[in-house]
Amino acid sequence: MTPLLHPLGTIVRREFVTRVRRRAFLVATLLMPLLMVGFVAAVVLLTQSAEEEAKVWVVDHDGLLTVPTDVGPFVPRCPSCYPERSMLSYRFGREVKSKEELERDGFTCMLEFDEGVVQSEKMQLLQLTPPSGRSRRAMERDMGQALERLKVREQPELDYDVYLSLKTDVSIVVMDYETGEKQGDAKAMVGFFMGIFMCLFVLVYGMHIMRGVIEEKSNRIVEVVLSTVRPRQLLAGKIVGIGLVGMAQMLAWVLLSWVLFLLLGLGVEQSDWMESWAQTQGLSADAVDFQTVLSSQEDLAFLLDIQWPVMLGCGVLYFVLGFGLYGAFFATIGAMVEQESDAQYLMIPVMLPLTFSYILAIQSIDAPESWLSVVSSFIPFSAPISMMVRLPMGVPWWHVAVSLGILAATTWCLVLLAGRVYRVAILMYGKKPGWREVWRWMVRPDAGAL
Amino acid sequence: MSHPIIHTTGICKSFGDHQALAPLDLEVGSGQIVGLLGPNGAGKTTLLRMLTGITKPDEGTLRMWGQPHHRDLLSRMGYLPEERGLYKSMRVAEQVLYFAALRGMERKDAEHELRGWLERLEVEGWWNREVADLSKGMAQKIQFIATVLHRPELLILDEPFSGLDPINAALVRGEMLRLVQQEGTTLLLSTHDMGSVEALCDDVVMLHQGNKVLAGATDEVRESARKGRVFLRLRGNMMAFAAELGARAELLTKVTEGEGSAAVHEVELALPDAWPMPGFLQWAVGHVEILEARPVKLSMEDVFVQTVASASS
Repeated sequence: MTPLLHPLGTIVRREFVTRVRRRAFLVATLLMPLLMVGFVAAVVLLTQSAEEEAKVWVVDHDGLLTVPTDVGPFVPRCPSCYPERSMLSYRFGREVKSKEELERDGFTCMLEFDEGVVQSEKMQLLQLTPPSGRSRRAMERDMGQALERLKVREQPELDYDVYLSLKTDVSIVVMDYETGEKQGDAKAMVGFFMGIFMCLFVLVYGMHIMRGVIEEKSNRIVEVVLSTVRPRQLLAGKIVGIGLVGMAQMLAWVLLSWVLFLLLGLGVEQSDWMESWAQTQGLSADAVDFQTVLSSQEDLAFLLDIQWPVMLGCGVLYFVLGFGLYGAFFATIGAMVEQESDAQYLMIPVMLPLTFSYILAIQSIDAPESWLSVVSSFIPFSAPISMMVRLPMGVPWWHVAVSLGILAATTWCLVLLAGRVYRVAILMYGKKPGWREVWRWMVRPDAGAL
Repeated sequence: MSHPIIHTTGICKSFGDHQALAPLDLEVGSGQIVGLLGPNGAGKTTLLRMLTGITKPDEGTLRMWGQPHHRDLLSRMGYLPEERGLYKSMRVAEQVLYFAALRGMERKDAEHELRGWLERLEVEGWWNREVADLSKGMAQKIQFIATVLHRPELLILDEPFSGLDPINAALVRGEMLRLVQQEGTTLLLSTHDMGSVEALCDDVVMLHQGNKVLAGATDEVRESARKGRVFLRLRGNMMAFAAELGARAELLTKVTEGEGSAAVHEVELALPDAWPMPGFLQWAVGHVEILEARPVKLSMEDVFVQTVASASS
């Protein structure tokens, strides 16, 4: 090991190795990607394949929707209003069926339609088995279309096809003026979740630092270590080592999630489900892949629009700097106490900015470019979380650069000051240092070790 | 000319208004075993922390191996503090090798040395043992090994025998002597175990309330603290003898066996400097029958108590 890395590298390695081999770390690292991919798989697969088929008996009391046929039951006047779906089918008639008849004929619910519906635009659905939300929305759409057609038919001067060509539904697609990128609340949610992850990581691994320092202090091993290395080397080794554990966990999550997504995609593409899904979408089974499935899911399609390399790159930078900033605080608190329970009142100054950032992150989902979100993304204590919420929506590069610059400078200063407190406090037993004493250690750099 | 291993001139340390160590001059030569004594709060740990680079003296000069103290010299020392622990999440060998690595030792060397030490301290099977499973005495042996593994030229041991049973204490004491005698290690031993001081230390330094109150070769210190103490076994009229003695010497202890004129008395007397033992004996044989007479050698414990009492008063 080169003199520069010795003994820092030795300390970093110990902090890293003794943590990553713990069973709790391995379980959490393996379990999280499984949960994440499982969640996506659940959204994609369960909502479709596990859905009960809704078979609807439509009672057309006044013959507004249907016409009789010579050979069998009534058929709709507008067959195109009721598209073929795997999860939803209609049969039409004029008679109300009893519950037993519905069950006998395999229907799950019954819809009644008459003149009153034309006026009130409200229908009654009598259910034996509750239809899924998706089936219910499809029924509303189908019946609405049929009713619309009926109303147009009653206007002799109005041609239905002309009417359809004039009918317009407006939806607003928000785009960035400069980049032309699509914006949306879901994207902000990605930023929010990354910010919250950041917050959790800083908190969880910051606590690891604090516990590590308290362990060294309370079992008095620190005196042996400090007879070999400088306090600031021990502090830096601990922050870097534990920070690397956090990054290793994040990296493992990203890689494992990616591999699991690939496997999930392969599994889905080769399954029978894919073929039936393609059919329901009116697509050829050869022309669709897992990406097509994802993009068809309203809740997940935005994932494909996110610039993941930028997000992850910035995530790593903000984590490193934010963790250094808060890690120095946590280490100092650990050095000032002899047991974890004594640390609680000292943690308030650390928890406050983290909590403030969390509240801001929630607010930023609705207004990622509000002045509060923008300002907080420059304040070093809240920047790692606030900027992560803003990033998916597109942020000028200089905002990121300035924010990172301020954060790096603040982290550097605080690590230096924390090191000054740490080296004195770590050897104090019995008496708890007061804030005045802490201030004196900060401004008197000559106190401390050789 | 070889330099002293430790040479301090007027080093002192204060914490706020409290002076933990008054200006101290101290010299420890190569290959010596020096006992650092003193009651709790005397300033021993403060001194040891300055020697091991954990804290800096407020004033004074501290030279080690003839050079101003600096961090590069720390790898030539081994320090076992009084309050010590081990990382509970590590295994025995892993822990000791970690400390060796911090001191810049090559892993292969460290592993080789560790095997030898585990064998010498009769704990060969502990290589992969969890530290959390060790008893206090077991942990103590591992801490000792971690302190000496990198073959330090100066060993600073603070209460090295605490927590060890007599057999293991003897084993560790034997290893300490071997290091000094065979490898020329210098040993600074801070302890309250006065038996070990008598058995091991060439010199002693005693601190009390931050001040040096006693220093010198162990035998000389014990001799000078004796202050004319003599032991007598005598037969005769003890009452008359004590009356004759009067205020010329202090009668410290007296034990009587038998009765009447056949009674044998064992007494300890403190003679003044002006009345040395030969002159006193000449005088005494004229009054009683002297069966045995010898100077009393004070134990280090007596010296300790006497010095602290005298310094406190």
